[in-house]
Amino acid sequence: MEAESGYREYYARNMRGISGWFKVRAYTIERWLYAAHRITGILIVLFILAHFYSTGWHPGLWWDALLGVVVTFHVANGIRLILAELGLAIGKPLLIKKPSQRPVSIEGVQRYLVVFALVLFIVLAAIWAYYALVVQSMMG
Amino acid sequence: MASEEAKDYVLPPEVLEETVRASEELWKPVKKVKFRIYKYNPKKDYAPHWEEHELEVSKGMTVLDALLTIKGEMDPTLGVRYSCRMGLCGSCAMMINGKQMLACQTRVLEAAGDGDVVELRPLDNFPVERDLAADFTHFFEKHKSVKPWIIRSDEVELNNPTGPYKQTVDEYARYYQFTDCIKCGACLSACPTAATDYEYLGPQALAQAYRYMVDTRDDGLDVRIAVVDTEHGCWRCHFAASCSDVCPRGVDPAQGIQLLKRLIIKRKFGYKPHKPAEALPAKVKAESKSGG
Ligand code: SF4
Ligand code: SF4
Ligand code: FES
Repeated sequence: MEAESGYREYYARNMRGISGWFKVRAYTIERWLYAAHRITGILIVLFILAHFYSTGWHPGLWWDALLGVVVTFHVANGIRLILAELGLAIGKPLLIKKPSQRPVSIEGVQRYLVVFALVLFIVLAAIWAYYALVVQSMMG
Repeated sequence: MASEEAKDYVLPPEVLEETVRASEELWKPVKKVKFRIYKYNPKKDYAPHWEEHELEVSKGMTVLDALLTIKGEMDPTLGVRYSCRMGLCGSCAMMINGKQMLACQTRVLEAAGDGDVVELRPLDNFPVERDLAADFTHFFEKHKSVKPWIIRSDEVELNNPTGPYKQTVDEYARYYQFTDCIKCGACLSACPTAATDYEYLGPQALAQAYRYMVDTRDDGLDVRIAVVDTEHGCWRCHFAASCSDVCPRGVDPAQGIQLLKRLIIKRKFGYKPHKPAEALPAKVKAESKSGG
């Protein structure tokens, strides 16, 4: 009986839960970046916890490169988010709307910020990977 | 005389023909579409189930038209909420093939795309009332909690107005965009924060809070900051921008929330966006009256 009412409450509330964070299909690229930001953020926290526990564990140089991808994405996209959340590059409220107006905060200047963040991510990740895989192995 | 006037309004035959042809085209059956519809009554059913109905659809048929046909001819128990049928009342938002849309503003063929299945569910992250109708009680409470009305300290003027409050077009432009909200709930439903935080105020309420905070007639800045600068308030938003993506009225709540954050930060440094507007002096009123 108890389990039954639990089910009923689950369906009646109709909350998507954590899977809702990753429901990216049908939405714009900002939603993908949001999901990736969540995942990389969680991974960084997990890494730091593991790092506190033991600093000795190290499966190989590729591990550093992988960590670089996670961290640099979070940094590059984080810069975009800080700017947007300070109300920059998201446009001004409109006085006149077109018949099927698309939101300025998504499809205006902010899209350049998206491109900027992705380029920055690739550059930073490449530099990090170069140091992790090439320079580190040269130094032994 | 009547016939002479009427003559002016008769359409040329070729235009009339074209009009008739175009409207026939709009309502001519194009293909069969299968509707997968979510059925659930939380007061009776243990769990939801799906029901399928097939319908001949035409170019002009909206999802709401289809639902009403299904309700009328196939399944009279179908629960669906609507009122205006023209995108103004905000009653009919639902998940159409996985995205929040107004049933009355979405054509079936548009929703089906190349496929021939349209899946309909009630709005995500809202309690289910029955079938496709969601329960908006909590949503409206959130809206009410940000005090969506003009707050003033000059009670005498408010109760016995001597004239309208002064406002320029530029000042009006600061908030006009947000006044188009029809409270359809699509934005809150699309928000990933709302998927795990039932108490999150949500894009609709937060954008409305901003709308009143920058209205020059309003004097309730600090009262509303106390509501939105909280655990379940605007800082829970991480700019996934899906709210603006799905809004059928171009309200752009994501923009409103980011501007709201900026306003709150500035307020911490003592900034106020405006002095509450004064009532127009009697002389201006008299002039504008005589002016027409
Ligand atoms: S902001 Fe847009 S999506 Fe949200 S309730 Fe208002 S009209 Fe609907
Ligand atoms: S911009 Fe903020 S309120 Fe809008 S969907 Fe994203 S997290 Fe939710
Ligand atoms: S029925 Fe009013 S908005 Fe769709």
